[in-house]
Parts: sequence; C-alpha cells; structure tokens
Amino acid sequence: MTRNCALSPAARQLLAALMEGGSGWLHGYDLSRSAGIKSGTLYPLLIRLEGQGYLEAEWQPATEPGRPPRHAYRLTEAGRTLARANPPMVDAVRGRDLGKASA
Amino acid sequence: MIDRSLRALAAVVAACAALLLPGASRDWGQAMREEVRDIPQGGEALLFALGCLVGACREVCGPTGLDDGAEEEQRSGPPAGVGPRALLVGCAVVAVLLGIGHMAAGGAPGTMMLMNLIALAVGLLLLSTTSLLRSLVPAPDLRSLSLLLAPLLLATAFGGITVDGATRWIRLSGLSIQPSLILLPLILLCFARRASPASLLAVLLSAVALALQPDRAMAGALATGLLALALVRPDRVTLFALAAASAGFVATLALPDVQPAMPFVDQILWTAFALHPLAGLAVVGGAALLVLPGLVLMMEGAGHRPVGAVFAATWFAIVLAAALGNYPTPLVGYGGSAILGYLACLWGLPLRAGVDRLPVDGIGRARPEERWGGRRTRLISTQTIV
Repeated sequence: MTRNCALSPAARQLLAALMEGGSGWLHGYDLSRSAGIKSGTLYPLLIRLEGQGYLEAEWQPATEPGRPPRHAYRLTEAGRTLARANPPMVDAVRGRDLGKASA
Repeated sequence: MIDRSLRALAAVVAACAALLLPGASRDWGQAMREEVRDIPQGGEALLFALGCLVGACREVCGPTGLDDGAEEEQRSGPPAGVGPRALLVGCAVVAVLLGIGHMAAGGAPGTMMLMNLIALAVGLLLLSTTSLLRSLVPAPDLRSLSLLLAPLLLATAFGGITVDGATRWIRLSGLSIQPSLILLPLILLCFARRASPASLLAVLLSAVALALQPDRAMAGALATGLLALALVRPDRVTLFALAAASAGFVATLALPDVQPAMPFVDQILWTAFALHPLAGLAVVGGAALLVLPGLVLMMEGAGHRPVGAVFAATWFAIVLAAALGNYPTPLVGYGGSAILGYLACLWGLPLRAGVDRLPVDGIGRARPEERWGGRRTRLISTQTIV
C-alpha cells in the first residue's frame, strides 16, 4: 500500500527552489539561500531526493581555472511532478518573504 | 587574516562532516567540502560547514532504532526479573553502606559518613520526585537533556574552584561538588541510547571541558566509555566521538595533575586493607558492585548492549582511576558527587531488561517515506528475547 505522507515545509521549499531553476543545474550553497533552508537540512533532503529518483546530481568542472569541481543538481521529471503536487506552504512562503524583506 | 582562519576552520568542519558520512554517501561529503571551499566569505563558509556537520550526523544517526522512550517501554511486555534501574538503586545503596562500614572501621569523622548518607537520601528523593513528575509531564528528550548538561561542565572549567591547578569543583551551600562525576556518566548514557547531533555535541563539549579542567580520571572514563561503545556499535559517529575523547584524555596527560591524596576519599582501595581485611573487602566489593547493572544489561540482548557497555566501562574506569591515582573512589569513599552521579544514571537506563526492540527494516532507519515531513514516524516491532 502506498502511503500518502505530507512533505515538510523545508522539502517543499527546496522543491520550489529547484523548480525555479528549471532545467538548469543548481549548487548547494545557492539552493540553501534561495530555498531559505540551512545546509544541515538541505543535504539530507538532497540525498533523499536523489535516492528516490526525484533529483539528478552530477559533478561539473569549474568555470574558472583553479577552482574545484562542484556538485550540481536539478529535478528529474518525477521530481517536477512531485514539486507541482507539493507547492510551498503559505506560512513558509510568507516567512521567507518576511525574512527577505527584513534582510 | 580572520577570514582566512574562518575559511580554514570551515574546511576542517566540512572534512569532519564528509568523514562521518557512510561510504555510499561519500560523493555527498565531497560535495559539501567543495561547496564550502567555494563560498567566498569565511563566516558564511563556517556556518554552512557547521550545518553540513549537523546534516551528516542526521544522516548517520537518523532514528537509531535503539530502544528508547518511556512510551515504547510502556507498550512492551511484562518485565523479566529485576529491572536495571532497581538493580542500580540496590547497588548504590549497598556500595554506600559498605563504604560507610569501611569509614567507621577507619575512624572517619561522623560528618563524612553522614554526608554520604545525606547524598544517598537526596539522590533517592530526587529520583522519586522525578518519577512522580514523569507521570504528570512528558519525560525530557535524552538528546536535549545531554546538551543541557554538557555546558555545565564547561562552566565549571571556566568558573569553578581551582585547587592545585585543577578546576573541577563548584561550591554549593558550603559544599564542594564535582559536576563531572554527577553529569558525565549520564551524558555518555544519553549518547549510547540516542546518537544524535545534540548528544554528539554534548560528548564533544564534555571532552573539551575535561581537558580544560583538567580531569585525567573523568577524561579517561569518557574515552573508556566511548571505547566500549565503539566495540559494540562501531559506527562513524561513535568513532568520531571516541577520537575526540581520546584527544581530550591525551591533553590531560600532558597537563600537570598533582592533587594530594585525601583520607577516606582517594587511594582507599589500597589503604582499606591496611585497616582490616574486611574493610578492604567492603571497599573492593562495593566498587565492584558499581559495574553490575551494566554487565546485566549487556547480557539482556543486543538492544541494551551499548548502554550496558557504556555504563560498565565508565564506572570501571572511574574506579580504576581511583586505584591508580589520587581521584575519588566512587560511592565507597567519602563524596556525594559520585553517589548523585551514579543514581542520575538511572535516567539513562532502560526501564526494563529482557526486552529488545528492532526496527522493522532491520537496519535502524525509518523507511524513506516515514522520514519525509520531518515527522520521522518510527516503525517499531517489539519482540521479547528471553
């Protein structure tokens, strides 16, 4: 039996941030900032999303010489479906907006 | 200069996070390290790296699948034999009485014997009061509890009473109290029962505090307790905690620790035999009793083995330190802190022995869908081993 389990606000925010990126690749630090979640929450979520086939992850060579390669992420088709079915919660969005406004 | 130092520190923290992650997630550890390296501001990089460390701990620990929580215990079957908590109280009472017998034989001042009896009575009173409270309000989370206790050890290192270069004591109503003897065994038991970012941080803070005090005996007890845990639960978090505790212990070895021996407190495992063979037997027998609840727990099933091993190893190390150096001999010697600390361990022990709980998937992790939503519903099956 498939369980219908609600996603956490952080997971929804992350999915929304990844959706905003479209088919482009995003990096951990940028995602942390755009989704408004800490790295301690971000990476376990990314690991889980990738493990369940909702996320693609790949190493990309640095754009500038001497810089390290970076791990980049984007949603798979299943991930985009999941993101559309689980938009950010209203309170969480409002909190993000308030946070941005006060920054 | 400061920015460069922060960036270097961030790199070290990110490396620790990468080290903690299991082999299957090694790529993610590398991803964290490279991401931290790419953040231009040192402070931001450090904050991001610290978050990564917390995330790595979450990944490794997850819901541990260890038996914990009064709620589950209340659901489990009938108790098998004497519970570990009852055994602990029994051992504490007998050890204190044997110690008082030894003190009486040695002509110790009456106040010493009275103080040990008062400490025992206060400890038992506190336990019964909290048992009553637990029936009225929910029990505190073990992870939060250990994180609340560890800063007290640090506070002692910075603001405690200094005697001959060691800052291990605080003064409360005219009494000198050694917080590490009261708090450290419980902090270790919390870590053994629930490895989590909070309980790991509590252990790390304790290691730093004991190195700063310095307290060779308790730093050694911390390392020994974690070594025992690593033998029965050799995961990355435990090995990381063991490495930190060992470093703290080595630091105490490098620092001078020259406390004079106090009569009826230090070295009594040797001096008691000089008084009378029976006094010696009382002291050795009382000290040996202290590890008994841990040994019994270890034999009760795999689920209790980490807690039992940590309990037995920690108290064994404290007794061993008392035999080797001028450190207080717990319970059988004069001193209320060890009595309170031993009784405080009761909060870290399971309610009942003989019952083992295993997670449904058998690897100590909730199913992925259970971990979504931050609810982390745990699926537990209860099976009686005995």
